[in-house]
Amino acid sequence: MSTSNDILVRCRGVTKQYKKGETLVTPLESLDLDVPRGDFLAMMGPSGSGKTTLLNLLSGIDQPTSGTIEFDGMEIQDLPRRKLAGWRARHVGYIFQLYHLVPVLTAFENVELPLLLDDMSRRDRRERVEAALSLVGLADRVHHYPRELSGGQEQRVAIARALVADPALLVADEPTGDLDREAADAILGLLQTLVREQHKTVVMVTHDPRAADAAMRILHLEKGRLQEAAV
Amino acid sequence: MLPFGYAVRNLYRNKTRLAQTLAGSALVVLLVMGAQALNAGMRRTLNASGSPDNVMLLGAGSEESVQRSEVSEQAAGIAEASLAGVATVMDTRAVSPEIFHMAYLEMPDGSISRGMVRGVTHRALLTHRRVSIQEGIFPGPGQMMVGRLAWKRLGVTPDALEPGTTILLDEIPFTLSGIFAAPGTVMESEVWMDLNDLRTAAQRETVSSVVVRLESGEREDVEIFARQRLDLELSPIGEKEYYERLAAFYAPVRSMTWITAVLIATAAIFAGFNTLYAAFASRVREIATLQAIGFRRSAVLVSLIQESMMTSLLGALLGSVLASILLTDRLIHLSTGTFRLTVGPETLFAGIITGVILGIVGALPPAFRCLKPSLPQALRD
Repeated sequence: MSTSNDILVRCRGVTKQYKKGETLVTPLESLDLDVPRGDFLAMMGPSGSGKTTLLNLLSGIDQPTSGTIEFDGMEIQDLPRRKLAGWRARHVGYIFQLYHLVPVLTAFENVELPLLLDDMSRRDRRERVEAALSLVGLADRVHHYPRELSGGQEQRVAIARALVADPALLVADEPTGDLDREAADAILGLLQTLVREQHKTVVMVTHDPRAADAAMRILHLEKGRLQEAAV
Repeated sequence: MLPFGYAVRNLYRNKTRLAQTLAGSALVVLLVMGAQALNAGMRRTLNASGSPDNVMLLGAGSEESVQRSEVSEQAAGIAEASLAGVATVMDTRAVSPEIFHMAYLEMPDGSISRGMVRGVTHRALLTHRRVSIQEGIFPGPGQMMVGRLAWKRLGVTPDALEPGTTILLDEIPFTLSGIFAAPGTVMESEVWMDLNDLRTAAQRETVSSVVVRLESGEREDVEIFARQRLDLELSPIGEKEYYERLAAFYAPVRSMTWITAVLIATAAIFAGFNTLYAAFASRVREIATLQAIGFRRSAVLVSLIQESMMTSLLGALLGSVLASILLTDRLIHLSTGTFRLTVGPETLFAGIITGVILGIVGALPPAFRCLKPSLPQALRD
């Protein structure tokens, strides 16, 4: 049984609604969820089931229509946009399916981006970026531009970028969706390592059952509701 | 803040787009600098053309145009004898009767040009102290002297107006006796000739004006003289004031140059909108990613403006270089005279300000449009 201190993210009665033309769409409805620290949680479900919406809410990219989202004991659902941006920079690392690297910046510069938001010396930044790139196995690709990297390498840079500021939570939206099997396995192995050795908490959205198997828990979402939880 | 290098490298993403934006900015800056240089040159020349010591006696009712003015031949003699405080040089009083006549002149190469001809006596040199003869001699009967910029006004090369050549006025040949300078004034584009010759050629019995250079006298003395001699129907006006009025007369021309420049700049800004809409729109997801990482919208906006400003300021630099090459010392002639364009500090300032405005105004709407979608929506794009 998890104690309240063990819970990194707690969602209670989270509903998300938006208007699409005249129609009111409810991608998430009255959702309750606890994500313990050090968890590796995979969320599965059909398209439109609300997986990415939930991921966006957990990471402070979006805000719920109603309900509460607590992160490490602090409610984030009503933070103003400016504060939410700062909160994201400190606490969340986001990994995208299509990597979303800035094409005009090198691997080093892409990874350095989150650190520019902190008051940190250039030397400290360099050390942390190099450490993050080493951790993902790309110490020899520091000065490469995204176009000079393979898909798997790009995703590793994206992971380095997500973890360089040492956030407690890593959220990953289909992180292996654009990769071949071998590269996907390597990325999943890397996420497992981050959970095991760096004590990160990972919430991952995936369609791929093999990817989900790499997680410690799997949640199924359907029509905005949690259907079942598997351990 | 996003690193400055990000804005710099974004410039090179699409070299064709960069070249288009640079060329557009440079063209607008060149145009604005041209308008500024023209207006400044015109204003400077007209302001310098009148001497504060000189008073022009014009025919009453013709204060706006010396060419239309008719002053009795006797006026110069009477003014010379009656007016107190007139400057005297070597026992000669600085009172100059003059005829202004717009005439067709046949150049040595056979071409015919319209130019401002001023009929003068030697006394003109006493009143117009900026005039100095650079080459040759002052014109006597049968002779003409040209200002050093008259070639431009008359549409010939400078070599075509060498002393000794012949110019025809109403088919009467006149020998070019000299070339004079009158720095920064409209006189430099005029043709000067003997007063009596021009009176005959223009078939007039009057002069256009009598220019009086005051030394110790007051303008009021000249006004009293004009009021006392009602028979001469004179209207005194300070020479400087006359040219200031002339400058005011050209205000619509100056306004038109500015309006044209502003219209073209506006069109360029709209073209810039399109270019930047395309440039920024292709990066909506990337910009959303930066926000997802934790950069505020304001930081992204500043970076986009930096990017736009760099292009427009590079364009301004290019435009300024072009302006320096193409406009400096270029001569523009209007009916009043020839103006020399000068690319000075104020012209450069106008160019830089234009670049800054293009950069900021051109970037804002595309940037706002790019930042408008919600983060989840932009990340999905």
